Amino acid sequence: MASVTYKNVVKKFGDLTIIKNLNIAVEDKEFLVLVGPSGCGKTTALRLLAGLEEITDGEIIIGDRVVNDVAPKDRDIAMVFQSYALYPHLSVYDNMAFGLKLRKTPKDEIKRRVDEAAEILGITDLLQRKPRQLSGGQRQRVAVGRAIVREPKVFLFDEPLSNLDAKLRVQMRAEISKLHQRLQTTFIYVTHDQTEAMTMATRIAVINKGNLQQLDTPQNLYDSPNNLFVAGFIGSPAMNFFPAKIAVNGDKVIVDTGDFQVQIPASHTAPYKGLNGHSVIFGIRPENIHDPEFAPQNINGVSVSSKVDVTELMGNETLLYLVSGKNTFVGRVDPRSKLRVGNTTQVIFDMDKIHIFDANTEEAIR
Amino acid sequence: MEIAKSSKKKTQWKRASLPYFYLLPAFLVMGVITFYPLIYQLIISFTNFESKDLLLGLKSPDLQFIGFKNYVDIFTAALPVENFNFFRVLEFNFWWALSNVMLHVPAGVLIATLLNTEGLWLKRIYRAIYILPVVVPPLVVATVWTNIFDERYGAMNQLLTSIGTYFGNTAPVYIRWFEDVKPPIPGFLPGAPLTLAYYAMMVANFWLGWPFMSVVATGALQSIPRDLYEAASIDGATGTQQFWGITVPLLRPAMIPAAVYGFTLSFNLFNFVFFMTGGGPARSTELLVTFAYNLVRNLRWYGVAAAFAVIIFVVALIVFLITNRITRATQNYQEA
Repeated sequence: MASVTYKNVVKKFGDLTIIKNLNIAVEDKEFLVLVGPSGCGKTTALRLLAGLEEITDGEIIIGDRVVNDVAPKDRDIAMVFQSYALYPHLSVYDNMAFGLKLRKTPKDEIKRRVDEAAEILGITDLLQRKPRQLSGGQRQRVAVGRAIVREPKVFLFDEPLSNLDAKLRVQMRAEISKLHQRLQTTFIYVTHDQTEAMTMATRIAVINKGNLQQLDTPQNLYDSPNNLFVAGFIGSPAMNFFPAKIAVNGDKVIVDTGDFQVQIPASHTAPYKGLNGHSVIFGIRPENIHDPEFAPQNINGVSVSSKVDVTELMGNETLLYLVSGKNTFVGRVDPRSKLRVGNTTQVIFDMDKIHIFDANTEEAIR
Repeated sequence: MEIAKSSKKKTQWKRASLPYFYLLPAFLVMGVITFYPLIYQLIISFTNFESKDLLLGLKSPDLQFIGFKNYVDIFTAALPVENFNFFRVLEFNFWWALSNVMLHVPAGVLIATLLNTEGLWLKRIYRAIYILPVVVPPLVVATVWTNIFDERYGAMNQLLTSIGTYFGNTAPVYIRWFEDVKPPIPGFLPGAPLTLAYYAMMVANFWLGWPFMSVVATGALQSIPRDLYEAASIDGATGTQQFWGITVPLLRPAMIPAAVYGFTLSFNLFNFVFFMTGGGPARSTELLVTFAYNLVRNLRWYGVAAAFAVIIFVVALIVFLITNRITRATQNYQEA
C-alpha cells in the first residue's frame, strides 16, 4: 500500500515528446484510472511508473521513495499487461509462482499465496494447465493472479480488458472493482474506454496529447468537465456541441448558435455578463434534451426547433439524431417518444445542465 | 440388377485406380533410378562382386554368392583393411555428429541473442555476414581450413607460436594436426581415440555450423513477445534469469528441429571430412560414408561396399526414426 506521485514528469522519445509535464498525486488505496484516446501517453505514463521506460525529466515517487533509478523489480509493483504476457511454457501455477521463486520465497509460502489468489479468482481448477489451454477470460485471471501473489504496494493495469469480448469485459470490470475493495491497495489502471473508467475508478485522470486534462471523481468529470476535450470524451453518446456567440441584453444572456437562440437561466448568468459578442462552444448532453411530450415538468426548459434525421430505439431509451439548420445533435429521450424520422418538433433543452466553453481556449466558462 | 451392380463396381475400380495411374510416371522413374539400384545393391551385398564382374554384372562367371560373409567381415573387422573397426567408426561417427551439434546450437543461440540486442548498431550487417559460411561450398571451406592447419605455414600454428612468444616461448610451434595419431586427451571417448585431426575438424566445422543455428535462433527470437521480458523484469528476473527462464524455453521448439537437422547433416558430412582429413590419420576421423566411398573408389570391393551401404542404410533409418520422434515430440507452445 502506497501513494504514487508523478512530479513534473516528462518523457521524450528522441524529438517526440510523449508526456509534457505530468503531475498526478495518487492517494493510498485509490483506484485511479488513466483514460484518453490512443496515443495520448497514458500507457507511457504507466510504463514509466513500472520502470519499463526511463523518465526524461521529473520524479516518480512510490510511497516516500523516488524510484527514477530503481529497477522495475525493486519498485514493489505488479503489472497486468494488455496481452496478458503469460509465460507460455509454464503452467498456470508456475506462471503465478515465477516472481516468488525468483525472490527465493519459501515453497510452502509460494503455495499458500498461489492457492489463495487462485481461490479469489476462481481458477483453482486450472492451476496445472498451460496458458494455451485457457480461454481469454481465464488467461486474464491468471495475469491478475500473477500480480496478486506478489502482494505489491501498487497494481498497474495496462488495458487489461481490451482483448475480451463485450460481455466478459463487463463481468471482469466488476471483478476488478471487487478485487480492489478486497485487497485495499493502490490500483492504477489505463484504458481508452471511458465506460471502464467511469465504472471502476475512484478518480479519473483524463489525458490528451501528453497533458493531464482533468483529474477528478467520475461524477465531477461528468457533471463539470474543465474543457471541451473532457466534455467530449466522457459520456456516451458524447456531449453535443454548438459553435455560438454570447449576446448580453440587460439582465438576459442569450446563446446564439445562428440557427437557434437559447436563454441562460438568470441564476447561471453571472460568468457570462461581460462576454457580449464572445465566441463560445455551447454544450449539452443528449439526456438533457427531451421530447416535448415527455419532458419533466420541473426543468428550466427551452424549446429548440429541429427535424428528426435518424432514430435508434434501444428499448430503455431512444436516441434521436436531430438537425437544426447546420447543426446536428443527439437527444436521448423517453422510449415512449412518438417522434419518427422526418418529423419536425420542438425538443426541450434542460438549461440547468448546459456547458459553455471558450471557443479559443476550449476551457469551460463557469 | 446384376448388370447395374457390375457396372457400379467397374466405376468404383476406375475411380480407385485413377490416382495410381497418375502416379505411374513417378513410379517408373523412381523404379529405374531408386528401387532397381537398391535391390541390385542388396543382391550384390551377398556376393564377392569385384571390378572384374563389372562387365557382366550378376551373370559374371566368377561371381559367387557368399551369404552374410561380407556383413560378418565388416562387423568382426575381418576385412583386410588397416585400422578398420566398424564399431569404432560407428561410435566416432555418432560422437562427431553429437559433439558438433552440442557446440553449434548453444553458440548459435548465444550469438543470436547477443546480436538481438535492441539498438545495436549495424545489426543487419552482422546478420548478413554470418550467413556467409552457409553459402560457401564445403570443398572451398575444407581447403581453406586444411591450409590453416598446415604444419609449417598454417595460420593456426603461427597463431599458437605468437601466443607462445607472448609467454616467453620463442620456439615455433609445429603441430602436425592431420598426422599425429596420439590423442591429446587419452580416453576422452572410450573405444574411439580422438586425434588432433578431430579437434581441427571441430574448429573448422564450428565455423561452418553455428551460423545456421544462429539464423534459426534469430528468426525464433523475433517471435518471442517483448512483454514477456517486461513481465519477467517486473517479476524480478535479471538478464541471465530472463535468458534461461524465457529465451531458452521459448527457443526450444525452433531449435530442436534445427539441432536434429544439424545432427543428420554432420552425421553424413562427407565432402568436408573427405577433403580435410580423408578419414585419417589411421582412420581415426573416418565416417561411415567416407569409409564406404573408400571401399568402392580405392579398394573396388563392390560386394563389401554394398553390404556396408546396407548397414549405413539401417543406421540412417534408426537415426531418422529417433530424430523424427524427437521433432514431433516438440510442438509449439502457442499451438492449441
